[in-house]
Amino acid sequence: MAVAAVSPKSILPLACGFDFIAARCSFSRLAAVLCSRHVAVDRIDPSTITRLFVSESESNPSFVTRNQFLIYRLFSLSGLVPVGAFLVVHLLTNASVLAGPGAFQSRVDLIHSLGPLLVPIEWVFIFLPMLFHATVGFAIIAGGLPNVGSYPYAGNVRYTLQRATGMIVFAFIIWHLIQLHWMGAALGGGQFDPHHASSSAAVALQPAIVGILYAVGIVSAVFHLSNGLWTLGITWGLWTSPAAMRRASWVSIVVGVLLGGVGLGALVGMRNVNVEDAKVIEDRMEGVKRMLEGQPAAGSPAAGVRAAPQPISNPSPAASTTGVSTTGI
Amino acid sequence: MIQIAEKSDAASAGAKESDRIVRVRVLRQDAPGQESYWERHAVPYEPTMNVISILQRIAAMAQSQDGRHVAPVAWDCNCLEEVCGSCTMLVNGRTRMACTALVDKLLEENPEEIELKPMSKFPVVRDLVVDRQRVFRALERVKAWVPVDGSYDHGSGPRISPDEQEEAYPLSTCMSCGCCLEACPQYTKSEVVQRDDESAEDFDKRRKAAFDRGFIGAHAISQAMLFNSHPTGKMIADERLKAITSQGGIQMCGNAQNCVAVCPKHIPLTRSIARAGRAATVWAIKKLFDR
Amino acid sequence: MAQPRVLVIGGGLAGLSATMRLAELGIHVDLVSLVPVKRSHSVCAQGGINSVNALTRQEGDSEWKHFDDTVYGGDFLQHQPPVKEMTDWGPRIIDLMDRLGVPFNRTPEGYRDQRRFGGTLYKRTSFAGSTTGQQLLYALDEQVRRFEVDGKVKKWEFWDFLQPVLDESGRCRGAVCQDLVTMQFRAFPADAVILATGGCGLVYGRSTMSMVCTGSAISRAYQSGAWYGNGEFIQVHPTAIPGADKLRLMSESARGEGGRVWVPRTPHDPRDPRDIPEAERSYFLEERYPKYGNLVPRDIATREIFDICTTDGLSVEKDQLCVYLDLTHLSREMLDRKLGGILEIYEKFQGVDPRVVPMKIFPAVHYSMGGLWVDYQKSGAGGLEPGSPRNQQTNIPSLYAIGECDYQYHGANRLGANSLLSCIFSGLFCAPGVVASANGGGKTAAEESSRLFDTAMRRQEERHEALLARRAGDENPYALHQELGTLMTRTATVVRRNEQLAAAYGEVCTLEDRWQRCALSDTGNWTNQNVVFTKALGDMFPIAKLILKGALQRDECRGAHYKPSTAMPGIAATEPGEQRREAEQWCDRFEMNTRRWLKSTIAKHGSDGHTQISYEDIDTSLLPPRPRLYGLVGGDVIEEVWKERQKKADAIHAQAITSGGLSP
Ligand SMILES: Cc1cc2nc3c(=O)[nH]c(=O)nc-3n(C[C@H](O)[C@H](O)[C@H](O)COP(=O)(O)OP(=O)(O)OC[C@H]3O[C@@H](n4cnc5c(N)ncnc54)[C@H](O)[C@@H]3O)c2cc1C
Ligand code: SF4
Ligand code: SF4
Ligand code: FES
Repeated sequence: MAVAAVSPKSILPLACGFDFIAARCSFSRLAAVLCSRHVAVDRIDPSTITRLFVSESESNPSFVTRNQFLIYRLFSLSGLVPVGAFLVVHLLTNASVLAGPGAFQSRVDLIHSLGPLLVPIEWVFIFLPMLFHATVGFAIIAGGLPNVGSYPYAGNVRYTLQRATGMIVFAFIIWHLIQLHWMGAALGGGQFDPHHASSSAAVALQPAIVGILYAVGIVSAVFHLSNGLWTLGITWGLWTSPAAMRRASWVSIVVGVLLGGVGLGALVGMRNVNVEDAKVIEDRMEGVKRMLEGQPAAGSPAAGVRAAPQPISNPSPAASTTGVSTTGI
Repeated sequence: MIQIAEKSDAASAGAKESDRIVRVRVLRQDAPGQESYWERHAVPYEPTMNVISILQRIAAMAQSQDGRHVAPVAWDCNCLEEVCGSCTMLVNGRTRMACTALVDKLLEENPEEIELKPMSKFPVVRDLVVDRQRVFRALERVKAWVPVDGSYDHGSGPRISPDEQEEAYPLSTCMSCGCCLEACPQYTKSEVVQRDDESAEDFDKRRKAAFDRGFIGAHAISQAMLFNSHPTGKMIADERLKAITSQGGIQMCGNAQNCVAVCPKHIPLTRSIARAGRAATVWAIKKLFDR
Repeated sequence: MAQPRVLVIGGGLAGLSATMRLAELGIHVDLVSLVPVKRSHSVCAQGGINSVNALTRQEGDSEWKHFDDTVYGGDFLQHQPPVKEMTDWGPRIIDLMDRLGVPFNRTPEGYRDQRRFGGTLYKRTSFAGSTTGQQLLYALDEQVRRFEVDGKVKKWEFWDFLQPVLDESGRCRGAVCQDLVTMQFRAFPADAVILATGGCGLVYGRSTMSMVCTGSAISRAYQSGAWYGNGEFIQVHPTAIPGADKLRLMSESARGEGGRVWVPRTPHDPRDPRDIPEAERSYFLEERYPKYGNLVPRDIATREIFDICTTDGLSVEKDQLCVYLDLTHLSREMLDRKLGGILEIYEKFQGVDPRVVPMKIFPAVHYSMGGLWVDYQKSGAGGLEPGSPRNQQTNIPSLYAIGECDYQYHGANRLGANSLLSCIFSGLFCAPGVVASANGGGKTAAEESSRLFDTAMRRQEERHEALLARRAGDENPYALHQELGTLMTRTATVVRRNEQLAAAYGEVCTLEDRWQRCALSDTGNWTNQNVVFTKALGDMFPIAKLILKGALQRDECRGAHYKPSTAMPGIAATEPGEQRREAEQWCDRFEMNTRRWLKSTIAKHGSDGHTQISYEDIDTSLLPPRPRLYGLVGGDVIEEVWKERQKKADAIHAQAITSGGLSP
């Protein structure tokens, strides 16, 4: 998604609506401390807030206020690594489906070869940073007062979109996890099966509405990352002059367009997978894998005749061990 | 500040023009804590009018559009040439200096009426007058001065190249008007009310503390950079970096870049912010290893 | 004993430099100002600040020459010792401001760059872009903020000075001021009070000055018994941009770069100026002063532009006096490069591009040379005695005046870029004397009986209440101010005539009476700008009266004060012998005039509300007065004659010394 190419006008209705939402966001206390928002200092009642965030006296500032700079810098950094980096890897991995279900399956298998380490790795390098980024992000959003209505400048539109996409992506990720990994089956969605990566994903993504929501999620995430990249450069002082900022914004536009292409390509590729053909390939690969591991192919003597993934009548043991792995594609 | 109603010599220029009426809508508020309300005024058009002359005419008429007797609208101004920083207000919803807001241009934007509101990020004192103490407090925080020994003669100052001068001069024209703060989505209002049992000193202290928790603002970051680049000023560069990385410091900036778009002095604020970001990065890392 | 405190009223260049020096000397300062000090009028100064510098020195310049230029430019109407001290301090002051971080323009090698200003042959003027005043003020504001953080200075911004408080002996013991937000009164006991409240341009309605330059503070001091010197000397700048709210300065450099001044030969020609053919234009400055053209000296340009509009009725507009200042024949590229900044101002406020359409300009009131009378103590070297409590002290003991609101430095006419210097100088220089005075022994003001302050407070409260209570009035203060401005601009600016001045004095008295019937449209007690303005307006009348009376009584031409009836025209004759005779006559008359009029005007506020004028001799011990001949026809002949006379006088003087008759 192009970063600066969005015409401010076309985005205005969305952005103005966002003004409204953000202005009424009720993160106020956490935000007040984290973002130094003091709409009415007199009216804040300290007794209702945990000690951590209270900084009423100059002599005894809370942990958060003392380390506000550090927290915000970590926030900025976490957006790039590991969260941003993960997004890139994730989308690239998914896009490998364009090279065929086999290519995709082998990448998924590579990830799952981590075995029991996968879950802790996911939490430490993906979920926790993401949660940190999201928490601070929400506090920042609650502390700001978007005003594109009055000041419809490109920079301000980007600022507002950055917040809007942040919230969209957060909601999307939760839904994405639920829909595809945690309880997709229960909800009548599709359950991702790491042994049948392409075919199960293709099935899950089949409904038009799901496809649209994914497109929105991907575009938002890509915008958030590429625009975040640009602001990160300012925050850390990588580009300082207006000319350098302009150059940097071209770079981030290119990054955004490429990554957006990759992401949307992955989505389209995934939805266009021929489920039956894919399954054949996946089962064959599964069989090879088991053979290499010295196990018999699960449930059935011959590769290629495994039960159809939907509905999963007989979840494989391997699938259940990695069932909590959610990012393992 | 003080309004002068001076009908221009050109006031009655041309019959066609003297018939024209400029409609003005002012958001008024009688005192802090009171409800605000809209009031409409109609002022005879004059060529080369600006918002200040509109307010002067309103003060002289002391009458709203519907003929009601009203107290003159209060507002701040002094230089009337966009160099003192007094007259910031929201003209047609946007922050700017009233003295350079030409009526002809405003009517091109919206021929129906001109809308005047007080700044929204500062406590209203009355009508269009707001309390901008916080702007000056931020300058104290970043120690926006050259720490000279004193005013005794020590010969001339350091030699400075024309390039350095050209870099410093624009930053040095900041008139503390507050436009950059008003437009900044990250800058929010801080209003502290004196308690009945509180002495002026205590109140002042409490208010300053409240200011210091809030975002310091683009203007102060830029001033910190100005003095950190001066040969003598940089002797306390670390103190300034400490200030802009403390609570409410540079980390609060969300890079909306509204500040630079609305600054009437066209100060390259985002450049200052990015340079401050770079300096803060280096300084923070250095501090980490020096501990 | 309590620590002495000093109260400084006004935070322009003068007030801030005094505050800085006082705080440095360990004195606690209360700094009162109508506006946040950073927004004081000094920010408007664009051109620069004068001082001898390393470069001009090598061209033969010296402090003495700067002194000479200042005194000559001021038509010898100033006491010379203070001017000498100021010009001696010039280089130190620029150095100091440089150290404080003022971004003065630089040469390629990194030294301060200078430009040339009117009234001198040397490039003495240091400048910081096109906002030198702003930059100087900010540097001082920053230093004062530093002292404020240290608790040595307390600012009272948005406060109005109402009156000095005098004890029975007539000594100043503090002041009463009013908070413009809460409208509360407060007495400030102080061991010395310094007024640094700037000019009084608003007495003329619109001027190039800022909105707080009402002169209210000096008027209040004057009405409390302080003397006012040289009030009638008001500088009018030839080129300003007329505006509905203010007259904005258009720098002389527009003409310096080739700008031409003209009017259509047909009065109020309705055509677009670009469509008026050359033959139908009158380039009146070029026609009347072929030698100088558009660059005649300021006062002459002012007078000619004024005359062509009023006497000849050739103003461009019918309802507004103005002439064209035309740059449209010059290349856009050159204009942008050399005049970009000032052309932007025109464009910003007029909404018209002066590169395409000729500008409309007219003279405007710009500076008041006069101000509160102040004392000085002469040193053996001919300058001032440092640390003397008399320096800058008004006739009221412990009440001081500095900056544009004193009368001391610019005589009958101020040279460009000299005012910023005098403001900073008077502030810095007076401080040690003020400290000496504040430490002067006896009880401090804080220990003074509270009755003294209570009485003064009550007086101000009563005045305030009375104003608010006035209901039946039928006069509008803003309309009255407009009338006063028009009257003063018509009678007491460029050309002055006795019958007009006398009539105007009467009219101001009438206006003052009408002011008594002013009704307030706001009778509240919260941020009431209406009552503050009405008070300031009431205090403009005494200033207007002293300007008019001073001008009326001064029957001569000197500097900015021009009376056609007393003008000394140049030489009419063409034949050399006759020329010489006329020149002798001219010099005789000049000497007579000097004896009669080379005196400061001292105005005192009479108990009947009328102005009482007296005159004070001037200390010309350093530089004998000589004729000011800028642009006068036959000036060279007069100068020749004058020099011969001087030589003769010097010879007699020298003889007297050798024969022991006179001490040097
Ligand atoms: C457009 C323009 C351009 C100029 N350019 C130059 C130039 O290039 N070079 C040069 O040398 N000079 C220049 N001058 C002149 C010079 O700017 C002024 O003479 C000088 O700035 C005056 O400084 P000041 O400190 O005396 O007073 P100001 O700067 O006028 O300050 C007065 C202070 O007194 C306060 N005050 C006033 N009344 C009261 C009251 N009743 N109660 C409390 N406080 C009060 C005000 O709030 C303010 O803080 C220019 C003037 C103008 C108008
Ligand atoms: S760039 Fe930073 S300081 Fe400027 S408006 Fe945006 S958030 Fe505010
Ligand atoms: S940076 Fe610009 S907008 Fe901000 S206070 Fe200074 S002059 Fe005003
Ligand atoms: S009045 Fe000074 S900036 Fe507008």
